[in-house]
Amino acid sequence: MNLGLYIHIPFCQKKCFYCDFPSYANIENLQESYVTALRREIVAQGGLFSEYVVDTIYIGGGTPTVLTTELLKQIIDAVKKNFVISPDVEWTLEANPGTIDEKKLVTLFQSGVNRLSFGVQSFNGYLSKKIGRIHNEQQAIDAIHLAKRVGFQNISLDLMYGLPEQTIEDLKESIVKAVELEVQHISIYGLKVEEGTVFAKLQEKNKLALPSEEVDEAMYELVMYALPQAGYHRYEISNFARSGFESRHNLKYWENKPYLGLGAAAHSYLEPKRFSNVSKVKEYIERIAEEKSPREFCEELDGDVLIEEYCFLALRTKVGIDIEKFNAKFNRNFFDVYGHIIDSLKVKKLMQQDENHIYLTDLGMKYGNQVFCEFLLK
Amino acid sequence: MQTKNIRNFSIIAHIDHGKSTIADRLIEYTGTLSKREMEAQVLDQMDLERERGITIKAQAVRLDYVGKDGEMYQINLIDTPGHVDFTYEVSRSLAACEGALLVVDAAQGIEAQTLANVYLALENDLEIIPVINKIDLPSAEPEKVKQEIEDVIGLDTSDAVLASAKVGIGIEEILDAIVAKVPAPNGDAGAPLSALIFDSHFDAYKGVIAYVRVMDGAIKSGMKLKMIATNKEFEVTEVGCFRPALTNVTELGTGQVGFVAGSIKNVKDVRVGDTITDANRPVAKALPGYRGINPMVYCGLYPVDSSDYDNLKDALEKLQLNDASLLFEPETSIALGFGYRCGFLGLLHMDVIQERLEREYNLSLITTAPSVIYHVYKTNGEMIKIDNPSHLPPVTEIDHIDEPYVRATVIVPNDYVGAVMELSQEKRGEFKDMKYLDVNRVMVTYHVPLSEIIYDYFDRLKSSTRGYASLDYEITDYQTSKLVKLDILLNGDAVDALSVIVHKDKAAQRGRQLAEKLKGIIPQQMFEIPIQAAVGNKVIARETVRAMRKDVLAKCYGGDITRKRKLLEKQKEGKKRMKSVGSVEIPQEAFMAILKID
Repeated sequence: MNLGLYIHIPFCQKKCFYCDFPSYANIENLQESYVTALRREIVAQGGLFSEYVVDTIYIGGGTPTVLTTELLKQIIDAVKKNFVISPDVEWTLEANPGTIDEKKLVTLFQSGVNRLSFGVQSFNGYLSKKIGRIHNEQQAIDAIHLAKRVGFQNISLDLMYGLPEQTIEDLKESIVKAVELEVQHISIYGLKVEEGTVFAKLQEKNKLALPSEEVDEAMYELVMYALPQAGYHRYEISNFARSGFESRHNLKYWENKPYLGLGAAAHSYLEPKRFSNVSKVKEYIERIAEEKSPREFCEELDGDVLIEEYCFLALRTKVGIDIEKFNAKFNRNFFDVYGHIIDSLKVKKLMQQDENHIYLTDLGMKYGNQVFCEFLLK
Repeated sequence: MQTKNIRNFSIIAHIDHGKSTIADRLIEYTGTLSKREMEAQVLDQMDLERERGITIKAQAVRLDYVGKDGEMYQINLIDTPGHVDFTYEVSRSLAACEGALLVVDAAQGIEAQTLANVYLALENDLEIIPVINKIDLPSAEPEKVKQEIEDVIGLDTSDAVLASAKVGIGIEEILDAIVAKVPAPNGDAGAPLSALIFDSHFDAYKGVIAYVRVMDGAIKSGMKLKMIATNKEFEVTEVGCFRPALTNVTELGTGQVGFVAGSIKNVKDVRVGDTITDANRPVAKALPGYRGINPMVYCGLYPVDSSDYDNLKDALEKLQLNDASLLFEPETSIALGFGYRCGFLGLLHMDVIQERLEREYNLSLITTAPSVIYHVYKTNGEMIKIDNPSHLPPVTEIDHIDEPYVRATVIVPNDYVGAVMELSQEKRGEFKDMKYLDVNRVMVTYHVPLSEIIYDYFDRLKSSTRGYASLDYEITDYQTSKLVKLDILLNGDAVDALSVIVHKDKAAQRGRQLAEKLKGIIPQQMFEIPIQAAVGNKVIARETVRAMRKDVLAKCYGGDITRKRKLLEKQKEGKKRMKSVGSVEIPQEAFMAILKID
């Protein structure tokens, strides 16, 4: 049985203004003890998952690359030593262009990491600064060139649209630069102002100059048009790739496949259970030190919830819901469960159906939430 | 108990003038309930009554009291509601009594509603005992209030009881006054049974329980009884009195107040106002009923979830058992599906019923805007009564429309007279009379369309007089008005449940306000939604709910699906509270928007 691993590095040099993920600046002093704790969790969990073959690994954050080369190496070695790793593993590490150097990238590459995901967000230096990034445009470009030189052949970058003061021209430029850099994969997200972020506070004070709904929509349309034009096909709502470079790990989230999260705030799914670790870094370290479980949350999905999640997650992908698979997995006829809503969603031109698949239309992708919540049965 | 030692009375008071507190003190003082058993306002049994501090249902309690003459008296208190909407409940309580306490706040003086109920009691020939309550308040002016009672009502107040129920002053005096002044019932114990049903409630185990006042004869367990109006017969399984819990007794004699149960399953068999008699020895004639019930306000009640339709019906039937003034019949709306057209005594009554349905029966409801009954005279000479704007015939078939008018009586400090007059004029009111109750309190009377009263007159009256005004109204007549139907079109389709009948001169303004308000209530959807207000084919206001540009969840942090799911659940929850009308999803509040525009 295959397994995905997610490893969380909850450190950043500086917290971005839009970010509400579990990552923290100014706790560098905890880095070493965190890695020690993480390694102990890796050892413990590795023993429990010896029957699984790990075929995707994703070291995310936070900013994994804020750790020293030595600490990163310790984590990677612990994973390799304690889990059975598939020879064709997809091993991703998230990198910030501002926290890498040649030595770090070489070590990562030689240790087995074969995919880098760069958080760029925008190739416009002014905008980058405005959203709290620590790198400028040139650093981002240099980082990708360097990664290629070191030998990485699978590089992804993250872009954002709908940023304060961003114009359509800015976005176009960023897309053009990303394409020129010939990366294999691009994730692109619309900004959403989340509670508790710097942006939320600015918005409260009316100091956040977000693009209008119309401009935001035009940006979305631009992305959906430009990236496929440039050879990146949209295999998931927010993800585009050259053929064959779709992120296998990312797809696991949508394809109902098992993944194990390691580290603070890491989430896991082993059907029918979802669970996650404590998100406070200190607490995580302490629990591991006291040989207590780092788990904070666990839920067992019952019949209907399993079905619902299966559907709204699968619908995020281009392929959509495989009806035969659904019927076999749940021992129920898909149309008995959802027939009535499928009809109305088709009328609204949000869904399409071929012989064995139900999937979102382009319009459906744009209004994904409207469709997904229809799949909740209660 | 000899009839001469029985006293039956009720209490008339404005909200907050201390009626329930007096009732509590009487119960406590006579030892009917020990202190330990007392719960403040024991008679207000519904949660809703306690929360709002109002009495909705009439309740009863029997008190035993040894009078100054050393004799034991049985005193029955029949509690009455104090709000303008519940005049009907008051009238039926009064029909079971020989006397009434008129409770007036020593600091506030007489309010409009008190007046209406006193007149009702006088019509019923009840002996009225004035009680000036809250005399402990620093602002109390008992002498001034006494004078006001003499001037306005014409009652002699030389024997008025000065009381403070809160601190327990005057309670014994009240009891003594009841014994001394309220006449004993004058029924004939030897005559065939005749008892008036003044209320009822449904008990899951005992069936319908009728609250009765025995006029002649007596009721005993095992007797076979007959209800004159419904012609139903039943055998008495239980007979008893209120202490205030239902307590069985061997018989209810002439003049006594109590309850009777007899495995009556169908709530409709027991009609409040009907007369119960002995099936083997019936009286020929029913007791005179009392003021009939005439719902004045109608609205549609629809279940949000259409599968709740039968539950709504059951709930309405159960409520009707305890509230004979509630009327309902099935109706269908294109927008809302199957529901009920319900008739209420007024807005508070409507509010209370709606809240009880939601709270006690766990129903989620959509209420349409309230309407009065219009008399529509058609060009073919026919007159039809319309209580639902969407049933109005086409304009070409209408000759003219009459609407109900009320005499609205407002009592207010003289500083606010200007505000009351301004508001009443704006509400198409015609000035009738103005009278000074004392140097600074004024009673203003207007002739106003009822539709204006139920729209927002009361709310605005309260706010423009800082809560000082009290209002009472009664329907006087029908008058012809220039009325038109204002339709609301969403995405080009008229939504029947949003139509209202308004005065022609106000249609444009109402249309604009309504469209604007709906714009704020209807959430963005995938397409642009034009909101139009129209009279006939003429669009008089237009707003647009802009299209939702996109709606998509972005980044998923490290496989945190639970969070994504919660967001979707929240979104779904919001959708559930909406009603799909054509292609547009409309939140419940939209249907009430017509009621209140601020």
